[in-house]
Amino acid sequence: MTTQPIVREFEADLRVVEANSGATDVVVLDLAAPDGTDLPPWTPGAHVDLVLGDDLVRQYSLAGSPADRGRWRVGVLRTPDSRGGSKAVHEIAAGDTVRVRGPRNHFPMVASPRYLFIAGGIGITPMLPMIEEAEAAGADWRLVYGGRSRSSMAFLDELSAYGDKVTLVPQDEAGMLDLDGLLGTPEPGTLVYTCGPTGLLDAIEQRCEAWPSGSLHLERFAAKAVDSSGDEEFELVLARSGLTLTVPADKSVYDVCKAAGVSVVGSCLEGVCGTCETEIVEVDGDVDHRDSLLNDDEKEANDAMMICVSRCSGRLTLDL
Amino acid sequence: MRGRGDTAGYPRNAWYALAAADEIGAEPYGTRALDRPVVLFRATDGTVVALGDRDAHRPYPLSLGRVEGDTIVSGYSGFAYDRTGACVRVPSQEQVPYGARVPSYPVREEGGLVWVWLGERSLAERRLPAPTPWLTDPAWETFGGQWETAANIRLLQDNFGDITHVAVVDPVLAPPALSGVAPVLEVELTETTVSFHRDWPAAPVPGWQAELTGGSATEAYPQREEGAFLSPGLWADRWDVVLPDGTQTFRFTHAITPVDARHTRHLWRVSRNFAPGEHATATMRPMFESYYRKVREILETMQQVIDRDGYGEDVNVAADLAVLQVRRIMRRWVADEG
Ligand code: FES
Ligand code: FES
Ligand SMILES: [Fe+2]
Repeated sequence: MTTQPIVREFEADLRVVEANSGATDVVVLDLAAPDGTDLPPWTPGAHVDLVLGDDLVRQYSLAGSPADRGRWRVGVLRTPDSRGGSKAVHEIAAGDTVRVRGPRNHFPMVASPRYLFIAGGIGITPMLPMIEEAEAAGADWRLVYGGRSRSSMAFLDELSAYGDKVTLVPQDEAGMLDLDGLLGTPEPGTLVYTCGPTGLLDAIEQRCEAWPSGSLHLERFAAKAVDSSGDEEFELVLARSGLTLTVPADKSVYDVCKAAGVSVVGSCLEGVCGTCETEIVEVDGDVDHRDSLLNDDEKEANDAMMICVSRCSGRLTLDL
Repeated sequence: MRGRGDTAGYPRNAWYALAAADEIGAEPYGTRALDRPVVLFRATDGTVVALGDRDAHRPYPLSLGRVEGDTIVSGYSGFAYDRTGACVRVPSQEQVPYGARVPSYPVREEGGLVWVWLGERSLAERRLPAPTPWLTDPAWETFGGQWETAANIRLLQDNFGDITHVAVVDPVLAPPALSGVAPVLEVELTETTVSFHRDWPAAPVPGWQAELTGGSATEAYPQREEGAFLSPGLWADRWDVVLPDGTQTFRFTHAITPVDARHTRHLWRVSRNFAPGEHATATMRPMFESYYRKVREILETMQQVIDRDGYGEDVNVAADLAVLQVRRIMRRWVADEG
């Protein structure tokens, strides 16, 4: 009998109580426990996994209100290049059951007197609970929300209640988001939160380089491109389990731990969800952080890593 | 959000229990929480009011004054404050000084505990305290106590997160099952909570439990342990013994409140769904109280060691998985509060 502990996330079959079209190609699902009990608490920026099939797990930000403990809301865009996730979600109808895992949060709202929220397309979803909280806290905030056209932009009704704190930028009417105008001058004391397509996030990241460190908070649900051709094996020590293992060039730390019978949690396995975050005890060499979650300060601190993608050039000791 | 520094901080945006409901009446009750003085009293409609415990006029605790109707009156200046903390009367002049007030805090009375929100006010209604229905449900009989422990809140959390210490600290109270090798610990995470359980192999119940229920002290029964970190200020644990004629369950509720970085208020409750009545309570209460006092002493000693020699690189073992997850969530709460 193993005495290694097992860790997993909350996971449940939830009922789709409502499925509505939020905009062209956007479906909004409201999920609840079949017996009507409360769902686990969460805070703005959290996301859940929808388990759509054996190998089909997708992350979606919670777009409803954390104060509503009975329901979780997600908004899903049907993407043409979809690997099948968004298509499967669009086939879900009210009354169906969906397997949901989480919630977890790698996009948490840090307290601040001022916020600038920038949303691109379906990246609006995590912003909804955030602006609700910023508004309740009396923070000074604005949201700039870009999309292809008004008809493709979801949640416009909810947003209209906020008046001129919200600026809508439908590309067909107003052109692209004016990032230079928004971010050209660093504003100490303002936190920037953004979610949207990779191109937009990269452009924002670049413009925020001149901002005080810690100003920019972004969430990517698409993995960064990684060159793994030069990967080499390295030694892995699991401090709590008392194991020393080898991570071969073609296997991840996560895989090696699993194979050794050590309970680790993972979900996306591509460095975007943060489920597998593990504390680093000691590094002899360099950690190659390949996730899309840690910011530069956090990578440099080497306190923790995403073991599904990140590697090490020497000997790595983890708190496992 | 990551990193091990800042081991002494605590989140402000959480509901914390400051007192037992029956400690609060028309006499002002002065206490401290989150490095602040707080006074509690019951208004005429029976609801509890929480205000900053310091007269706006001079540095004198309002809790040393008196409650008059729905106001509390300073025992030095005679300034009277209403339930919102606004000064409504001063003895020396007709005109109430403009803007004179003390802080007021949202209060909820639940499960026989007085919960107070001392953080960012707008979040109070958005993060309600986790329900603890067993504390008031007549199917459960509850006893408990409360005191201050001279230790940081995290030392208490580390303790609740791993019950394998119970067998070492108090072998008489501990279920005999605990003295064997611990079975697999299963941990379930959400963004803000950690719950865990273990299914222990069949073992006898402790002698005192067998005696109270007229059961066998030698027969082996399957037992299950559950624990849950529900919020920075609340743990709810349980212990089930599966007997042929039903399950005997204990629920252990720990409401913990940082007084400051080195002191924590601990309100503990032991609830059971078996052996009803005063006699059983009278037998069990001193046993549990003595156990929790031993724990307090141990944690206070740990705090002294930390104060003297600093935080060390503690060695963690498999049983600490839940504890480590709780620490991760606590660090995040603290970091997000900026
Ligand atoms: S499993 Fe998602 S980041 Fe590693
Ligand atoms: S001097 Fe007293 S109110 Fe102005
Ligand atoms: Fe321990």
